[in-house]
Amino acid sequence: MSKVTIPIGPQHPLLKEPVAFTLTADGEQIVDSALRMGYVHRGIERLAQDRSYTQITYLVERVCGICSHVHTTTYCQGVEALLGLDVPPRGLYLRALLCELERIHSHLLWLGVLAKNVGLDTLFMYAWRDREIVLDIMEELSGGRVSHAVNIVGGVRIDLDEAQHQMVVEQLNRLAGRVHKHLNIVLHERTIKARTQNIGYLSAEQMREYCVVGPVARASGIDMDLRRDLPRPPYTELDFDVITHTDGDVWARTVVRVEETLVSLKLCQDILAKLPDGPVAAKAKRRVPTGEVVSRFEAPRGEVVYYIRSNGTDKPERLKIRTPTLTALITLPIQLQGVALADVSVVLSGVDLCIACADR
Amino acid sequence: MAELLSALFTWFVFPGFIFLLLCTWAFDWLDRRIIARFHGRVGPPWFQPLADWIKLLAKEDILSTGINERLAAILPMLSFAMVLAASLYIPVAGYTAAAFEGDLIVVLFLLSMPALAYFLAGWISGGAYGIMGGNRALLQYFSYEVPFLMAMVGPAILGNSWSISQIAQQQTGTLWYAFVQPVGFILAIIGLIGKLKRDPLDIPKAKSEVVGGSLTEYSGRKLVLWHLTMEMQAVLGIFLLINTFLGGAITAMVGLNILLFFLMAMVILLSLSTASVIYARLRIDQLAYLGWRVFAPLALLQIAFVVWMGG
Amino acid sequence: MTPTETQEQLSARISEALEAAFPDIALEMQPLPKQDISITLPPEKLEAVVAILIETFDFYHLSTITGVDNGETIEILYHFWNRYGVTLRVHLPYDAPHVPALTPTIPGAAFYEREIREMLGVVFEGLPEEGPLLLADDWEAGLPLRKISKQEKEAV
Repeated sequence: MSKVTIPIGPQHPLLKEPVAFTLTADGEQIVDSALRMGYVHRGIERLAQDRSYTQITYLVERVCGICSHVHTTTYCQGVEALLGLDVPPRGLYLRALLCELERIHSHLLWLGVLAKNVGLDTLFMYAWRDREIVLDIMEELSGGRVSHAVNIVGGVRIDLDEAQHQMVVEQLNRLAGRVHKHLNIVLHERTIKARTQNIGYLSAEQMREYCVVGPVARASGIDMDLRRDLPRPPYTELDFDVITHTDGDVWARTVVRVEETLVSLKLCQDILAKLPDGPVAAKAKRRVPTGEVVSRFEAPRGEVVYYIRSNGTDKPERLKIRTPTLTALITLPIQLQGVALADVSVVLSGVDLCIACADR
Repeated sequence: MAELLSALFTWFVFPGFIFLLLCTWAFDWLDRRIIARFHGRVGPPWFQPLADWIKLLAKEDILSTGINERLAAILPMLSFAMVLAASLYIPVAGYTAAAFEGDLIVVLFLLSMPALAYFLAGWISGGAYGIMGGNRALLQYFSYEVPFLMAMVGPAILGNSWSISQIAQQQTGTLWYAFVQPVGFILAIIGLIGKLKRDPLDIPKAKSEVVGGSLTEYSGRKLVLWHLTMEMQAVLGIFLLINTFLGGAITAMVGLNILLFFLMAMVILLSLSTASVIYARLRIDQLAYLGWRVFAPLALLQIAFVVWMGG
Repeated sequence: MTPTETQEQLSARISEALEAAFPDIALEMQPLPKQDISITLPPEKLEAVVAILIETFDFYHLSTITGVDNGETIEILYHFWNRYGVTLRVHLPYDAPHVPALTPTIPGAAFYEREIREMLGVVFEGLPEEGPLLLADDWEAGLPLRKISKQEKEAV
């Protein structure tokens, strides 16, 4: 059979967001692939230059529809460093709580997508149903299921009362049992292993060359997690494990993500147990003194980098956003080389693409 | 005159076309409902299959340019006709519209033709997904069909006949063949899953891999014919297995037969639904490996066992 | 794996190594908030400095590259990371911004460099020519992240 060109995207049942892959297949084997992104490029970096620091908080929330809170956290962290502002501990703890909830939500959503793509609809339904628990918690805390608008420069705008505290702890306990079940399926279900093992393999050396971050890198044995490596409260006061795996294939990435979900669940419990009293936000000045800062934070998909340069006015001179998906996208041509057409969906879902993030 | 009327009744009403259509409706709905319950969903209401058919019938029938229109129209009709023809020879609780010595072979042939039509439908569609889907359908056909046919040989040898009703009759009063040759029974169910392209063997129409496979370019009336073909094939496959492996539900009590027959059908349907719920989709090379390295030798061993037992 | 040395110690070590390698140029070093060090260097020394950073200090991880139009020059900032951040800064002339590409040594830099090429019109020597990364195929409205000068604004 001669070579066939197979378009995947910009619209395709496999993709949740527009991005285009042009695959060249020889029979069932992929011999070449080309990538085109930019379909959801909104020019957020340019837009930010015309907006005040307060407005940008809500703008960067729209970078990603899944990890929206992480983007505002990284941004606020950067601006607070420029202002020399100390956020009250309770504010930091609540911020971290939402970050971890978001990690759980993102990983569960991803698990569902992977399950759907390998044809195991049951796990897809289970994972997405359990994700609702997290979304309900977030709605209770912030009023929004996906976009929370919780962060403000100087702290957070929400507080937790006793009843909410109780409810969150109960729901998280319920969720922990469910996630253990998912982990059991992922670790032991033979058809899942048959579809995901030895697919999309990348060595630790390749991960370093391509500067890959997050669970994808950790699944190849790169021991990097900014929550631990760039310690700042409350993570300095909490005890948690960084999950790594050595297999470097899609299955390893699955295991890493599901186990990270459990770590995040434990972190949430710890945060709630140690939640200090006091105010949740400090007053921030409107004008930010001249300076520049590189702000990093561990998003569900890995390191998010914000570079902010201020010029003494109430608008930044430059705001640069680097999302973790970009680092994973660049490795896709290598991962796709030589895999069967049937495994393309598995490889693509394995890196957890967030195209809106990558395009900004 | 009365003879003609009774013939028309058996062909078109029971156990002919209308009965088959009602069964297809019921089985399709039950299947979706069972799977939904496993998923923790509610599932569709009882009229959903009918609503789907009517909706598709009412939709505009589009074909992409460059496609051979006549062939594209004939293929779904041909496979639908094949499946309807096969239904005449498969007894329902002992009642059959037509029967002759050797109808098992005819039924097996008629039920395997839609797979080839499905491959052709993808091949002529011109789209990349259709061609890939068609190729996969053909590869899958070669993987499941051999173990399936060999599994069906077992009952024929034991029953000493190539007639389905004969095979079913032979099992009255003795142990059902499903218990005599359990391996053959399981292989036949796996073969049936492959034939129907159901999860986890929905390789030719996997949405995340080849969009809709062979049927990507089909719409409207032609698509509904394809769907009906697949769904009727599911019903007939289940009926065939009951007759060959479970004694065709023929007991001394005539009134009980139909009830028992449907009970058995439900059990097989439940096993099909369960299989689709608990497994992830296999890759085509994994299926080919299983088909030729595991299922085919097992089926051969089963036949050897049957021959040794029967001889 | 907590860092065993403080930022000042690391900063001193880097400064020592760079001074030993380039005795003739003064490299400007300054701390940034959030455990980061910024080093300003001439564009032609970029590859050599990156080689030292990677080989001696294991700064293999290039977080991202930022391009800034500061009104006078085009600044390119290379954000490296290994328990601490190191940001290399080069200033490029406004009308002919040329800089050697890092993509041949760090394959992961390709998307960042392509993006800056598109947004600011910087020429990365050694970066293969490819279609647009983020902008539309028929984009003709110029370089999105360049600042519009006063004369141009009046012309519009």
